Amino acid sequence: MSEYIPMQAEIEDIDRVTSDTYLISLHILEGKGLSYRPGQFIMVSVFGLGECPISIASSPTRDTLQICIRRAGRITSGIMDSRIGDVLGVRGPCGNGFPLERMGRDILIAGGGSGFATLRSLVNYIVDRRRSFGDVTVIYGARTSQDLYFMQEYKGWQMAGLSVGITVDVGDDSWTGNVGMVTSLLDRLEVSVGSAAICGPPVMINSVANTLLTMGFSNSDIYISLERHMKCGLGKCGHCNIGPHHVCQDGPVFSYDRVRSLLESL
Amino acid sequence: MMIAFLSNNEMVPLIEALAKRLEVIAPVLSGGQPVFATWNGQELALDAENPLSSPLEFLLPSREALFRYVQLSGRYTFEEPSLPARLILGIRPCDLFAVEVLDRIMTEEPCDQAYLGRRRSTVLVALNCTRPGSECTCAQMGSGPGCVAGYDLALTPLGDGYLVESGSPAGVLILREHPQFFREASNEEIARKEALLAASREQMIMVRPDLSLQSMQEAISAADWERLGDLCLRCGGCSFICPTCHCFNVLDLGVPDGERIRCADSCILSGFSRMTSGANPRATQGERLANWYRDKFVYMPEKIGLPGCVGCGRCHRVCLARFDRRKLEALP
Repeated sequence: MSEYIPMQAEIEDIDRVTSDTYLISLHILEGKGLSYRPGQFIMVSVFGLGECPISIASSPTRDTLQICIRRAGRITSGIMDSRIGDVLGVRGPCGNGFPLERMGRDILIAGGGSGFATLRSLVNYIVDRRRSFGDVTVIYGARTSQDLYFMQEYKGWQMAGLSVGITVDVGDDSWTGNVGMVTSLLDRLEVSVGSAAICGPPVMINSVANTLLTMGFSNSDIYISLERHMKCGLGKCGHCNIGPHHVCQDGPVFSYDRVRSLLESL
Repeated sequence: MMIAFLSNNEMVPLIEALAKRLEVIAPVLSGGQPVFATWNGQELALDAENPLSSPLEFLLPSREALFRYVQLSGRYTFEEPSLPARLILGIRPCDLFAVEVLDRIMTEEPCDQAYLGRRRSTVLVALNCTRPGSECTCAQMGSGPGCVAGYDLALTPLGDGYLVESGSPAGVLILREHPQFFREASNEEIARKEALLAASREQMIMVRPDLSLQSMQEAISAADWERLGDLCLRCGGCSFICPTCHCFNVLDLGVPDGERIRCADSCILSGFSRMTSGANPRATQGERLANWYRDKFVYMPEKIGLPGCVGCGRCHRVCLARFDRRKLEALP
């Protein structure tokens, strides 16, 4: 059968994350569901509108497959306008995911904006496999406090022994926490040098990675999850290439030294 | 391998016989121009220049349905299109080489079944080039003028007819099942084929003695991409006409039932890599043009061991920009 034919997934639940972002729980109607790892993504379709890549926001240690959708374009709007019980198409999982077997016990996780969705998968994986990991720090920044994802989960992460730092670019009366860049949190938290997982806007990725290098992280231990336009998720359609590599197959997670050498070779 | 001779006046009867079992795609004249089309008795255009639209269109169509979705009570069923059994007659060595390029890209894991399905149901009857076109550089790119692999049958025009060589069991079968159209080839005819192809090769090398995969790689390293990007008219014509260009878009047509289709897309176009946020990793036309060239002359050799340029010259025939696409320099 064609690898372009998706599985059908019923929307089981819809939770509000922010004013324009929902967490959508999916139940795959065929087979045994999806076997995936943190950092992978799926191709999600609304029949009649089309298909697009969406990172998996849930951890494979938990039963429910979840995606975090922000109303951005035609297809994400179509997903947002769906109701519980509606059917979406799902293909995947696609991509490599975070190389947990190479990341060691001490991990720093840094997210910016909607890039935090894919990192939630990794954070909850670590929480559920806590004994396999050591010092784990989560830092996350969004534009305002209204834009922060998964606020009700931070306490649980802290209770599991993770160090959690949150910041916003622009503060307001309701916000009593940090204001400033994600990197500013690195001065305030005790971070063990190990490996790192970063996802967010390019500027944020570069500033976090450069700060980590000055702290003694090796650039081969810093892993970046990249975003690209994609149409097939199979390495055929050509949209996501960086040089000879397809982000959908060889990525979306690359070590920082690899990303830098790829981008500099262009 | 079987070698035979097909005289000119046996060509149409042979195609008529083949067309009883298969859809035969062949170059025919349409509005005075050669095009690959389903043969229904039209006059063949086997002596004309290689058509501007390559026969790869029948292996990776510029638009095809991937599947049909049908909704019933909120659930979907999916139907895959059925693929016709086809024979492409008159595919040139450059385009045959492009088939090998696409085979390696599309059937590499995860295999693209939509492509593989068409590929497996298509018989390829190649036509060696004894008279290269003015923009042809298959000799320099190593794809022609005679094909060496990948064909079921290969024809070489010798004037009064064609030398016919089999390259696969399917090709042998065609020769065995239609003995009435063929006679044995003489040693002189086999030697004439080699002489004609050697002359064809020499002619191309003489026109552009300095061109090679390496010269293109050097031109790519030295090019002023921002300048070339300014000269590029951003039409995407080079992509849509290139036999190895295979990038596509995927779209849904129809609610609640409809088709998910794929259609040709081009990295030359500004929206190709642009994300929903508006951010574009290849923001300038220079970067997009550089990506097109690097993909063919640098990335593909590295990834699949073959250049992504087969020397068919089509991009030169359609490009309206004021730059030399072989030297990657602005024209005066």
